[in-house]
Amino acid sequence: MANEKKEKAPILASKKVKIIILVCVAIIAFFGGKEFWELRHFKEVFVASDELTEVKWLSDYLPELKNSWFDTPIYVFDSGVEGGSVFIMGNVHPYEPASSITCYVMLENIHVECGKVFIMPQGNYSGSTMGSTGGAYPKFVTVKTEWGEQKYRIGARESNPLDQWPDPFTYVHYPSGQNLAYQDIRNMNRTYPGRADGTPTEMASYAIMELLRKEKIDIAIDIHEASIMYPVVGTYVAPDKSLSIAGYAAMSLSEYFNMKFEASPKSLRGLSHREWGDYSQALPFLMETPEPFIDRITGPITEEFMLEGKDEFLAKAAEKGLTYVPYDIEEGQPMWYRVGRHLSGAAEAIAWTSYFYPDIVVEVEWPLFEDIQANGLGYYLHDPDAPENASKVQVVYHKPAAYDRTYQDLEAAFKQ
Amino acid sequence: MLVFWQTVIHYLYFVIAAIIAFFFIKNFFKREKRTNLVYDIVYAYCVIPFVLRVLFVK
Repeated sequence: MANEKKEKAPILASKKVKIIILVCVAIIAFFGGKEFWELRHFKEVFVASDELTEVKWLSDYLPELKNSWFDTPIYVFDSGVEGGSVFIMGNVHPYEPASSITCYVMLENIHVECGKVFIMPQGNYSGSTMGSTGGAYPKFVTVKTEWGEQKYRIGARESNPLDQWPDPFTYVHYPSGQNLAYQDIRNMNRTYPGRADGTPTEMASYAIMELLRKEKIDIAIDIHEASIMYPVVGTYVAPDKSLSIAGYAAMSLSEYFNMKFEASPKSLRGLSHREWGDYSQALPFLMETPEPFIDRITGPITEEFMLEGKDEFLAKAAEKGLTYVPYDIEEGQPMWYRVGRHLSGAAEAIAWTSYFYPDIVVEVEWPLFEDIQANGLGYYLHDPDAPENASKVQVVYHKPAAYDRTYQDLEAAFKQ
Repeated sequence: MLVFWQTVIHYLYFVIAAIIAFFFIKNFFKREKRTNLVYDIVYAYCVIPFVLRVLFVK
């Protein structure tokens, strides 16, 4: 037929050309992989308060975690005065960086008058090494200070699949047998109370439970952030045994900002505010701040947005009453505001617990909301490169596994 | 028991991944359909992540 199209002959590649293609793709993969490598091996640093007494590791509570990417440091501040004990954890969802930055502000400025405080800034270390670059998130967030900038990582919600793979079709929570979404098998706030011989995320959760039990923790605070179109935002979540305390703490905070309090549902398993209380003696509190950065209807997801929290689409949604906290685009939900909320939120939870239970006395000081509001967030972060701070610098990095040591040697060789 | 089956399924996934990787490499060098150069690039793109995992590049 006259109209019949002529079939084009395929361009065939010889074996040599195929190898060249493979090498070219490997080079492209190298440059792509470099981004992920940088994020995975980034080391957050902070200048510890003079009162730091001990650095523990999560693997101290479950040795199987040693040399894994789930091992993470826990900083202990012991006043030496008999009292209660507090455990504070950030970044169990590492794409909520106000939680880890709150921990760093505490770690750099804490003063403990009575009792003992355990602070774990990277709850899910593995998740913090992945980032959410697939969701076009920036890799890092930097806080401006008088001496320069302090850089922090923006991680992912779940554990890194490089450390735990594959996901099942349905995640069956242990021990309840409740069916949860498949990706929640890597969500540390769905795997409590965990198990010693489970998946790496379950093992890490189990180790945290062991910490609560072995250290006889009285008050356990899990710091989070939430999208403002999600009902559980700007709130404490607590089980029955600590709900009244959360209520009083929320009322105290209303002088500075709105803080709700909600009961931990008994039928949703695996969360810290449920299982920490059920499987240990601790009084749990989970805190959420408004983080517009993780809302789904926003414009460009940039570092500036992470720091300032201003978005016109969310402002429109707020006008229509679709957000669960008030939202004003002029003010946004900046990082200092979110960190300040957490600092005061944790302080009030501790203070009110001591009031309710006089035998659990913990007297602790760190900058509060009004301090951060007056002086800025950077004011409370110290320069790790300053000579006077050299002996106090802590590097938040897991104890590297054998094959990682090879990379470290290579890195050192390149530097030389 | 749950842990046992979970471990079995876990290793099964690795076996399946190995089979897929084998066929990717085989088809990259020798295939009868879709012989165009463009498919070579696609196959190469698919093979590289498996290579990285085998080399423990994380």
